[in-house]
Amino acid sequence: MSLLFRPRHNTLAQISLFVLAAGAVGTLGGLMVYARTPYARGMQDPIEQPLQFDHRHHTRDEGIDCRYCHNTVDRSPHASIPPTSLCLNCHSQVWNKSPLLEPIRQSFFENKPMVWRRVYRVPDFVYFNHSIHVNKGVGCVSCHGRVDQMAAVEKATPLTMGWCLDCHRNPEKNLRPLEEITNMTWKPEGDPEVAGRLLAEQHDVHTRISCTTCHR
Amino acid sequence: MSCEENKKAARRSRSLAIVQGDPAGVHAGAQVPKPRSWRSLEERAGSAELSAAARREFPAGASELTDSVSRRSFMQLVGSSAALAGLAACQKPNEKIIPFVRRPEETTPGNPLHFATAVSLDGYATGLIVESHEGRPTKIEGNPAHPGSLGTATAFDQGMILGLYDDDRARAFTRKGQPIAWRSMLGEIGGLGDRLRANEGAALRFLGEPTASPVVADLRRRIQARFPRAKFFSYSSTASEAGQGAKLSFGRPLEPRHNVARASLILSLDADFLADGPEQLALARDFARGRTPGPGMNRLYVVEPSLTVTGGVADHRLRLRGSEVAAFAAALAHELGARPGFELLAPLAAAVRPPATAPWDARWLSAVARDLEKNRGKSLVIAGRRQPAAVHALANALNVALGNLGVTVAWGPPVLADVDIASGPPALWELMTEITGGLVDTLVITARNPVYTAPVDFKIEQLLPRVPNTIYHTLYEDETATLCNTLIPAAHPLESWGDARAVDGTVSIQQPLIAPLWSGVTEVEVLAAFLGEGDLGAHEVVRRYWQGQAGRFGSGLDFFEHAWEKWLADGIVPDTATKPEAVTELAVDGAALAKAISPLLTAARKAEGAGGLEIAFSVDPKVYDGRFANNAWLQELPHPITKLTWENAVLISPATAGKLGLVTGDLVEISYRQRLLEGPVMIQPGHVDDALTLPLGYGRAGAERVARGLGFKAGSIRTGEAPWFDGGATLVRTGGGYKFGITQDHWSMSPDGRTTLEPAVGTTLANVENEHSEFNEELEERRGMPPTLHKPWDYSKEAYKWAMAIDLNKCTGCNACVIACQSENNIPVVGKENVIKGREMQWIRIDRYFTGSVEDPEVITQPVACVHCETAPCEYVCPVNATVHSDEGLNEMVYNRCIGTRYCSNNCPYKVRRFNFFEYNGDVSGARRLGMNPEVTVRSRGIMEKCTYCVQRIERKRIDTRIAGRAIQDGELQTACEQGCPSQAITFGSLNDPGSRVSRLHADSRRYDLLHELGTRPRTAYLARVRNPNPELARSG
Repeated sequence: MSLLFRPRHNTLAQISLFVLAAGAVGTLGGLMVYARTPYARGMQDPIEQPLQFDHRHHTRDEGIDCRYCHNTVDRSPHASIPPTSLCLNCHSQVWNKSPLLEPIRQSFFENKPMVWRRVYRVPDFVYFNHSIHVNKGVGCVSCHGRVDQMAAVEKATPLTMGWCLDCHRNPEKNLRPLEEITNMTWKPEGDPEVAGRLLAEQHDVHTRISCTTCHR
Repeated sequence: MSCEENKKAARRSRSLAIVQGDPAGVHAGAQVPKPRSWRSLEERAGSAELSAAARREFPAGASELTDSVSRRSFMQLVGSSAALAGLAACQKPNEKIIPFVRRPEETTPGNPLHFATAVSLDGYATGLIVESHEGRPTKIEGNPAHPGSLGTATAFDQGMILGLYDDDRARAFTRKGQPIAWRSMLGEIGGLGDRLRANEGAALRFLGEPTASPVVADLRRRIQARFPRAKFFSYSSTASEAGQGAKLSFGRPLEPRHNVARASLILSLDADFLADGPEQLALARDFARGRTPGPGMNRLYVVEPSLTVTGGVADHRLRLRGSEVAAFAAALAHELGARPGFELLAPLAAAVRPPATAPWDARWLSAVARDLEKNRGKSLVIAGRRQPAAVHALANALNVALGNLGVTVAWGPPVLADVDIASGPPALWELMTEITGGLVDTLVITARNPVYTAPVDFKIEQLLPRVPNTIYHTLYEDETATLCNTLIPAAHPLESWGDARAVDGTVSIQQPLIAPLWSGVTEVEVLAAFLGEGDLGAHEVVRRYWQGQAGRFGSGLDFFEHAWEKWLADGIVPDTATKPEAVTELAVDGAALAKAISPLLTAARKAEGAGGLEIAFSVDPKVYDGRFANNAWLQELPHPITKLTWENAVLISPATAGKLGLVTGDLVEISYRQRLLEGPVMIQPGHVDDALTLPLGYGRAGAERVARGLGFKAGSIRTGEAPWFDGGATLVRTGGGYKFGITQDHWSMSPDGRTTLEPAVGTTLANVENEHSEFNEELEERRGMPPTLHKPWDYSKEAYKWAMAIDLNKCTGCNACVIACQSENNIPVVGKENVIKGREMQWIRIDRYFTGSVEDPEVITQPVACVHCETAPCEYVCPVNATVHSDEGLNEMVYNRCIGTRYCSNNCPYKVRRFNFFEYNGDVSGARRLGMNPEVTVRSRGIMEKCTYCVQRIERKRIDTRIAGRAIQDGELQTACEQGCPSQAITFGSLNDPGSRVSRLHADSRRYDLLHELGTRPRTAYLARVRNPNPELARSG
């Protein structure tokens, strides 16, 4: 009767053990790496909207301030998508016959709200507040990226809790003077560290990292 | 008082006594000394079953789903839905954002708005401020500018937010079961009106609720002018006879306005004035203020049959059967009338001889009389709604004789608009007689469910179908709806335009917070339809009326437009309070009064002598007369005294139960005047002997899904002759083993039956004032920093150090805080079966402790929510850091980390953590979702939750003030329970501000920490309850 296991089976067993272990680690590791990719976080993925609204045109070309449309950003938790009527402030005069704007006119005259797709989303148990950030010197670009260069808006930052806490632990690098809040290209003069510390003092910035700051 | 006596008194009332004998010897031979206070009779007796149950923080089987699906099949269901959910999670979320087309003025998405409005109960208004998120009302608070509210609201008022989103509300306009449009109905009412006008409306009748609304009164006048022979009736099954009492005393119907702020002594004759009636919020606040220990502390005597909230805070309480209260009042008048200076009472004293064998201690009566005499001009005698007019008249005579008129009680012209129309049970009787005589062709009912609330001998159920046209305006398809041929769904008070008046006459315009969710219309519109104005809409009718009245308030271009806006914004119309009558106009003729009331008293005595058990009906503190029966928050609210949820019970005293051989949970059949009623018995310490209390409002049989089938209908043996008390009932035991949904033994802080210090501390004024009393010495040991090896965390550098103080001396146990918390924090209800299993979710529980004898105990109520320990035991045991400490000392609960091990709850000595055993919030209707507070996470199954000190309010206020560049001021940030508390027993603030109210209360000599001996360093401090007993009556219990 021949041997059931030959010496080479030892090597085989060792290799398969290694493959099993490596596979397990690799799967876990792979998943962990995957979860950290921009793809898994929904970043760099321009969202198609029901109307081809182009931020590039409105902010860069026309120089309209973010807060003209997102006008509750400094006094409410939400920045707010503007009501249809606000679009027509201009578009009743400008491009008022454009077929591209038909959905806006339809919404206004039929009193049916526009249905936009959400780009920035935090889970239901996260209570983010725009107004405190804007009033303490965190600019739009810090979280939303160069919206003035986006044809369709995409998520520019991961919005993970670690990412939030990075800034809440060291907010200085993301602070700017209040009059530059909506400026997409502002850069501090001189040493950013020094400027940040000065601004934190000026704005009386006290970031909080207790859980209930955001979760309640 | 000598030093020796002082010490004795201290020992007598020493509430911290660890070792105390058991006076009744209920558990003779027990080895472990029991604390003096107890929550239930079972606990007092040391029942083995109870102590076994209390050892677990959740009863056996609490985590088993046994209701219909077995745990195994449940897991299979969960498994498959989890798999499906897993698949769904592979897709990227595709959420929508839907902005306004035109953003309404003043609306900032994300920031709530607050609107003033008012709701009426029994005709009197409470002014409210309602929070609205993007057009959805979410939270009701009191309006500080309104005299009937002063910034707080009752549990009923606050619970109305749930009623607004109630799916069971009547939705369809129907005639003979067929749906019909409101416009078509208006046309028909127009045609009907024309037909009825032919004989001046001789066959037209209206049955409404008592109301103080000027618009409704005006509409009634105008309808009367159009149909001169039509008649209005008003009926409420809970109406007080105070008005008739005033008629007897002063010769005209007046309404009382009480002022306990100026009373050093209050005698309540069956009046639950702290938790019942239109003045309760103002009275509770003033009464609590007057309880500040010191020379000016007030004293409260209560005479009542069954323990009430007011009886619970009384310094002296006399148990008397309801029908004996009249004799007591007469005896008091007799006793005082014999004294110099009480000549007014002399004729009364002669006419009303007290019975030879009084059921009360003569010493008690004369002590009260002497105390009243001592406090002339600053005392108050107040009679309750259940007492007959004669008792109200006697109370009035006593107040006049004591010189209290114009000080603690004033009389104003009636605010209710019903005084000139027939009202009360006699009115309903008259209507029934007319129906019997075939005189009624069209009956318009705007009263709430008269078929259910009417006295049973009126036979309204048989008579109503005889009326050819019955038009019923209703919130629910209730018992009355099934007997009426035309149904008009009513708009909820928060959907209605209207107006209302407070007790002092102050007018509020009622404005809607939301358009009717289910096409309801208001009473104003229904009445206006009979004037051909039904299509105007309530807003226009109300506005036109007040435009017509505007001349009273001012003149000028656009005066009304501006005034109207201001009235709506403020919630009150200025200068509309009516002046009380001058004291000089209110003479009482003692002789005439004696003549008028002596037959009434004789009648009362006859009822007393009827033998058998006395039955007493009571308004339920959860569902009132049944109108709130479909409100699940109120249903699940533990009754302030019995701690019963979801149902009512036949309440009897321990002695009577012993005599009849009954135990709690026995089923009995009550026979009274050839009528039978079956219900479960509950033994209630403090209940008067030989009497039964039957709470109204249960046993509903309408189409409301929540209310249906809960409890028994006490109204089925309630007659028009004896609406509140009557003798002659007998009782037979028919069964046993009934299980109540009762919370009184849940969440025990002594789970293994170990001896703990008294959780709720009470003592006497003398002990508080004596610095060296045992009370003060022991309290000293129950506060401050406990010995520790660790260096305590230093919170003094933080901006705030949040803390709370709860003054047990002010807490009445009224439950307003529980509903406030439930509404603010999206707390689900679980149902009776789950309450029995200990799964109730309310974050605040109000522990009601008895001390003293079983027959006549004293009561202390103690609200307990998470006390935010600085060294919190729950935090050490959480394996996933779901409960952690914040820099400002909050014990935080992070729902998204919680995996539901329940270790924290197991380790919490206060037992304030609540666990979502099931998806209670998943089952709520779509409409209910609209009313959730968007600032608070809606927790799902398997999550631990507990009081957060309303952290959402803290963070919101922090952001507002940080943007404004200032600190949060003391008092501008209130937790929901604090804001809702009528007696201001709860105070919240920062201990880092030495001047804050909470800092001062933490430094008070009555302050102690709950379970201080465990070294948890709670941030919520309690202040001991203080009683101010009459030294003459110092108790020996």
